[in-house]
This record gives sequence, structure tokens and C-alpha cells, in this order.
Amino acid sequence: MRSNAGVIAVTVVAVFLGVLAVTQIQAQDVYSRSLQLETPASLTTLIANLSERNNAIKDEMLDLRHRTDTAKEAIASGKGSLTEAERQLSQLRVFAGMSAVSGAGITVRVDGSFDERALSDLVNELRNAGAEAVAVNTARVGPRSWFGAMTDHTLTVDAVAVRGPLQVRALGAPEVMYVAMTRTGGIIGQFQLIYKGTRFDVSRESALDLPALATPLR
Amino acid sequence: MCDTFQVTAAPNPDRTRLTHSLVLLLPAVLFGLLVSIQWRTQSDRNELTVRYNTPLLDAAKTLQNEQATLKAQLADLRAELDQIQTSASTQTDAGKELQARIGELKKVAGLNERTGDGVLITLDDARSASAAKDVEKSICHNTDLTDIVNQAWRGGAEAIAINDERIVGSSSIYCVGSTIMVNGTLMSPPFSVVVIGSPNDLLATYDDPAQLRDIKQRRDVYGLGFRVSRASAMHVPPYRGALNIRYGTPR
Repeated sequence: MRSNAGVIAVTVVAVFLGVLAVTQIQAQDVYSRSLQLETPASLTTLIANLSERNNAIKDEMLDLRHRTDTAKEAIASGKGSLTEAERQLSQLRVFAGMSAVSGAGITVRVDGSFDERALSDLVNELRNAGAEAVAVNTARVGPRSWFGAMTDHTLTVDAVAVRGPLQVRALGAPEVMYVAMTRTGGIIGQFQLIYKGTRFDVSRESALDLPALATPLR
Repeated sequence: MCDTFQVTAAPNPDRTRLTHSLVLLLPAVLFGLLVSIQWRTQSDRNELTVRYNTPLLDAAKTLQNEQATLKAQLADLRAELDQIQTSASTQTDAGKELQARIGELKKVAGLNERTGDGVLITLDDARSASAAKDVEKSICHNTDLTDIVNQAWRGGAEAIAINDERIVGSSSIYCVGSTIMVNGTLMSPPFSVVVIGSPNDLLATYDDPAQLRDIKQRRDVYGLGFRVSRASAMHVPPYRGALNIRYGTPR
């Protein structure tokens, strides 16, 4: 009788154990990916990011409506829409990295050891902060640019060496990009922890001149 | 013989109790451990999460839905302007030439849809029991996607899309908490990365043991889902977001 009670107790405990183990594994899987389980801080960042994106699209829609009206008027008055086409062409040339470009932005100086994945992450972070054009030293980063390293660890952009100290220049809203780079827990803070001997400086720039892609895309 | 047997087989009440206690001890300890882990996992999510998450989640979902609508409207506006320009450009040689240059730029910038051969890459969180050993190494991160995209460009890719979001010069693959955003669109695994380009060149670059070592090691050790396969007649949509050229002036 007593022995049976012991077996039953062990069985009950074992069943609970199994259920909990499964629940825990499932909880970890769901926890890692469900929007419902994000922290309020993450959700707030997510909302800010979504709002920024949506506002950028709304701004561009306003601009496009205006340009569409202007083009219609120009055609109606017999002037044609060459001005609008030229404007679109110059905008696309900047977007595709096919023309040199000037404007305000920031510079991130990297003096010390760094690797190609970190450089790729830095450019990704700048783009997320709204960078319109990016260059590493004198190499323009285009829509299909890739980052690599030579056998002596010299970094490359599209297979062309870029030697340190690196100057990563990004054109766009200086304050927005500066804060995105230097905020607590931001990418520069993370780099400083990982590349301890490397110096990182971020500065706002009122006028930057970036070159076009060395090899035009086809 | 029988007496001897009876003497040696007789249960010692203290010893039996001790054995029972020891048998129960290990499961009980594990039980307590799991209860505490489970409680900690839950408690991380409670309190602030319960109070603020519902309105924040609603706001995030509303903005995401709004973005999808805005992107569709933006595409319609672009198409309308294109149509006006195309019909106007036929009137002059200069207009025709400009339109041809715009068409070429749109192609390289990722504003046109593309169809072609290449490779299909799938990336997914590990689903096996071994994933619990190290969750960080078992799940896919935004940096895995940036590495995969970088490798595709290195291999001569002509067009890339991640879960139907076209990768262009302004694209970012961003991570907030455990949510990944590509071009501002919220995504979660599994990821399908469609890469159009020479299948042989692309396969060679992904097969290079010196490349993507971290992802391949996590696939082998932790069961991370990472697969590259040759594919034909794949489709990538055009970029649907804003061009956002406000600060840059072409020279």
C-alpha cells in the first residue's frame, strides 16, 4: 500500500515534470518571436520606427501629387513634362549611387581594428536612421555594394581596398543620424565594448561631398 | 535457508523511507527548478507588459496596416506619374531619351519587378530540442540577414527580396526586441531570401567555407535553419517604400 503510494507520487511528479519541460521549451520559442510578448520599451521603439517610415511615405506622396499636377499642367499648356522627367532622373541617380551628391549629414570615424561585418552593420544602421547616401573613405556605397576583407584584414567595398582610419560619411538629417548612432545602447556603444582599442568619433556635418559609384551599375 | 532469507529480506523501515526520499529528491529538485524558470519567464512579461502592452500593440498593428495601405497608394501615384511622362515623352526625341534613362535607373535601383533564375535561401529559428541549449545561437538575427544579403551582392546578385521586401540602396534590416523589420515592415521567421543572379556564381559564394561561418556553425551545432538551393523563374517585387531624397543634391 505504502509502496504503491510512493510509485503514484513519483509518477505524478514525473508527469508534471514532463509537462513543464515542454511548456518551458514552447515558452522560449514563442517568447523569442511574438509581438505580443515584446517589452513596452521595444514596442515603443518599434512604434517610433513605424511612424517615421509612414511619415516619410506620406511626405513623398504629397510631393508626387504635386509633381503629377505640375506635369499635367505643363502638358496641357504645351510645354511638355521634361522638367519633371529631369527632376526624377536626378533623384534616381542619387538613389542608385550614380551621381556625386552634396548635403548635410554625419561622419563616423573609425580608427583601429574593425571588420567587414561591423562595417556592414554600421552602414545598415545609418540607412535605418535615414541615410540617403553613404561613402566609406572615397568609395560610394551603392544599392548592390558588398563589404569584404583582404588576407591582410584590409577592408574592401566592392572589392576595392578602404584603409583605416575609416571615414564613413552619410548624407541625411544630421541630428537624427547622430542620435541614432550615439544613443545609449546604440551601435557605437556596442562597437566600443567589442573593439576596445578602436576609437570611434561621430560628428555632425553641414556640408558633405560624396562621390558617385566608381563602376556604374548595369 | 528460509530463515536466513527471511532475515536478510526483511524491510528496514528507516532504510525504505530513506530510499523513497532519495527517489523523490531528484524529480522534486528538477520540478522546483522548472517551476522557478517558468515563473521567472512569466514574471518578465507581467507587470509593465500587461499594463501597457495592449495599447502599444494596437498602435503598432495600426501603424503596420497603415504602412501597407500607404505603400500601395505610393505605388499607384508612381504609376500615374510614369504614365503621364511616358505618353508625354513620345512627343520629342529628348523626352524619349530621358524616359529611357529613367527606365534604366529604375531597373538598377530596384524600382521595377524582376523575374529570373538564382538561388532561394531559407533562414529559420531552430525547432529542435537542442535549441534550448543556447537560445541566442539558435534563433536568426537581423545580422544574419545582413550577412546573407552582403554575400549575395558579393556573388553578383542582380536583385534580392526578403519575404517580398525588395532590398535597395536605402534598405535596412533592423531588429527591435525580437522583431525584425525590413524596409520598415515587421517580419518574423521563417525568412525566404530570393536572390536573382547567376545560380552557379551564387551557389559558389554561399558554399565557400570561409563565408558565413557563424551561420553555418550554428546550423550544424544548434539546428539553425539555413538552406541555399538553386531556383528558377523566381520573382522579386519592386521597392514600395519612399525614396526619401531630401538632403542630397546631385552634383
